Amino acid sequence: MTVKALRVIPGGLAGMNAAGPSGLLEELYEKHAAAVYGRCRYLLRNDAEAKDALQDVFVKVLRALPEFREAASPSTWVLRIATHHCLNVMRSRKALWREQLLAVARERRQETEPPDRRELVRMLLAAAPEEAQEVAVMYFVDELTQAEIAQELSRSLPTVRKRLREFLECARAALKEALPDVMLPEGDDL
Amino acid sequence: MNLDLGGPGPGCSAMRVRRLAAGELSGAEMERTVAHVAGCARCAATQREMALEQEQLRRDVPFPQFAAGVAEKLAHRPRQTFVARWAPLAAAAGLALIAGVQVLRVPDDSGIRSKGAASAQIFVQDGRGIHELGLAPVSEGARLLVSLHPAGRKNVSVVLVEPGETSVIYAGAAVNGPLPQAFEWTGSKAATLRIVFADRPIDPAKPPRDADVIELPLHR
Ligand SMILES: [Zn+2]
Repeated sequence: MTVKALRVIPGGLAGMNAAGPSGLLEELYEKHAAAVYGRCRYLLRNDAEAKDALQDVFVKVLRALPEFREAASPSTWVLRIATHHCLNVMRSRKALWREQLLAVARERRQETEPPDRRELVRMLLAAAPEEAQEVAVMYFVDELTQAEIAQELSRSLPTVRKRLREFLECARAALKEALPDVMLPEGDDL
Repeated sequence: MNLDLGGPGPGCSAMRVRRLAAGELSGAEMERTVAHVAGCARCAATQREMALEQEQLRRDVPFPQFAAGVAEKLAHRPRQTFVARWAPLAAAAGLALIAGVQVLRVPDDSGIRSKGAASAQIFVQDGRGIHELGLAPVSEGARLLVSLHPAGRKNVSVVLVEPGETSVIYAGAAVNGPLPQAFEWTGSKAATLRIVFADRPIDPAKPPRDADVIELPLHR
């Protein structure tokens, strides 16, 4: 092969974009991709799946640019897309959470050492109904207040409360088996 | 043992720390958050976590790889018009995509048959942004990208044919959408981009008889 009449630009269109004027895609990457990748890694626990999901999420963002631009908080909006996407991926897998919970129980060295709460939230997600999962991530991981969640999801505050209570009930039932000594807060305490 | 699963604390919110970093806070809310984060161990931990996320992203998925993956996924959505597929990317790149792009036909006088539905297009990035090349001249320094529509054909070869010189741009599985590599044509007068689709692996020097052949002219 001769390369005299040709100069190859690696990366195809991406190479073209990177070589050209920096655009929105690069800005999206700089501002939001790290958080999205972190979310995908946290929820999917698999680097290859997380990389794939990262790109899927930004395809969704690009296809919904008007919504993105109108979002009161672009960070919150993008992370919501990421959470939603990963929860769907998780649901499409076989429910492994029961085994994962039991593994956590086995790995605990001492009874006094609490399991990592964020890990526990992730595993308990699978035990909860779909509508409660997203609310649980927004509350326990993103640390949005119930009022903020209600606003973000365009739901009423009582609905958000109800979803959180559902999550805790399902979580409690799931924990009874694996970690019987662990007590979760009541919905009213949140 | 009572377990605290977390949630927003008094003044603490991981999302607010993220929004602060993304420049989404202003006025009193920004001042309040800055003052809070400065003295809060929990929010400082969130900031450390965010720094770690940045490191992981840049290590695992650097921007060119990210952009290539996104472009690939955008291009692969089935049953969409070409403009619909490319418009978000062009918008993302801050570039104009000329509306109404059509699959480029084989020029009638090419003398080379293209019997199947397989087709290809050349996109160019030049001073005008990204657009379909069509039969327009290629400007100096322009970057070219071939996008394929294999219509079920399994293999493809893309070859740049110049007088006395042939360069293989791509040979392998017939991807649906843009090739993984763009290229710059450095020739001076005219060349032909020969795209051969077939069901078996292709030797670019000897394309099989039942192949679909598309020839696209390049000229200055
Ligand atoms: Zn804090």
